[in-house]
Amino acid sequence: MNFHCFQRSFSPASSSYQSPLVPVNLPSPMETHFWFVLPDQIRSSSLMNRYSELLSPCEKDHVLSMRGDQLRKSALLARALVRTTIARYVDQTNSLVDPKSLKFRKNSYGKPEVDWENADWQPAPLHFNISHTSSLIACGVTVDAQIGIDVEEKARKIKSHVLAFARRYFSSHELEHLSAITNPEIQRQEFMKLWTLKEAYVKALGRGFSAAPFNTFTIRFRPVIPKGEIRVLKDTDKKASEIIVESFDDPNILTSNWQFALMELDGSHYAAICMEKAKLVEGKEPLPLRLSVRRTIPFVEDECITGTNML
Amino acid sequence: MPTTVSASSLTSPLRLTFPTISQVNGKACNLTIVSMSWAKNGFPSLRTSRFRVSCAAKPQTVEKVCDIVRKQLALPAETELTPESKFSALGADSLDTVEIVMSLEEEFGINVEEESSENITTVQEAADLIEKLVQSKA
Repeated sequence: MNFHCFQRSFSPASSSYQSPLVPVNLPSPMETHFWFVLPDQIRSSSLMNRYSELLSPCEKDHVLSMRGDQLRKSALLARALVRTTIARYVDQTNSLVDPKSLKFRKNSYGKPEVDWENADWQPAPLHFNISHTSSLIACGVTVDAQIGIDVEEKARKIKSHVLAFARRYFSSHELEHLSAITNPEIQRQEFMKLWTLKEAYVKALGRGFSAAPFNTFTIRFRPVIPKGEIRVLKDTDKKASEIIVESFDDPNILTSNWQFALMELDGSHYAAICMEKAKLVEGKEPLPLRLSVRRTIPFVEDECITGTNML
Repeated sequence: MPTTVSASSLTSPLRLTFPTISQVNGKACNLTIVSMSWAKNGFPSLRTSRFRVSCAAKPQTVEKVCDIVRKQLALPAETELTPESKFSALGADSLDTVEIVMSLEEEFGINVEEESSENITTVQEAADLIEKLVQSKA
């Protein structure tokens, strides 16, 4: 597979600046490492070729099956991102793990996971999940916790009317929430946020969409009342609220195994993360979800994103 | 001369039966008893006395599905679209697939269960499911 460079790029993402992958420490309990790539930043054909060399034959076939250059590029970057990201964590000794050597498989429901069988080392129980749009590709990584992520372009317009869509696919509480919003643009944005959160939840469950049809659970913001205070907070008071999911199988029981985060990335995307909560240690407070966000061009540069706009 | 059936009106129910043996061009010809009836929503269904005939999706169904997919994914005209085309290979994400299913529901007057929509990954699969749902409505 060869990629041709269509324009000269003077950015650092050219072959002369390539370097080995920078290893990183494992995520701590209740922490998600969120890595993302912006395809527009990658134009070097030698870099693209290097990425394609990391892929298994099966992955290469999959990339080639995509119809169109942009789609092929996205598919390639997605696999390269997963391989290079996992490789950063796997070996904590001095020798770097070759991203090409990683093996992947699908669980019984089709969710991709790392296949550690026959690996030479004892790795940490890493979990990952990827999501991509044409303009951003993301990979979330945790240790010992199921994870699902979803990214969508903020400006994405759906073909149907938001409420018609919500009536058909979302829960009645979510439809109510959206119906109450009079500004169509805000309504559309709230719809996209709900969509990404619901997607992230289903992907975290890892059992396919039929295991949790979208209209059987509600995602909403619940005000968090700080300890010791008696305050009535509005449902829309996002500053002190948490995202929760409720299943309709038993509306009185919160589906409390899962923690969510929602953020705005690069001013252009919504990113939702759903993560299994860490097992509670006797007598200790539950840990809040922590997020560490990094923009990367594998083999070229990594950038920690601070002050990410949490929603 | 082959026997042909034509319907001049869709509004009144039309029932035709054929004899078991008919003379066609002087040769005896075996036919099983076939009756045709117009279903309530105007889609003809074909039933035999011995077995139900299930058809592969009609070409016009496949074509309609292709149109909807093209529109949803804003495919450039030169992108080739065949019944075997996988939605994911055309760049459809889950939101696109759900929108495609919604458009198909509107176009064909059917209701697709979420469990079934997971199995719609190609144009052909969509067309086959549509035919199945349309026939079971009849």
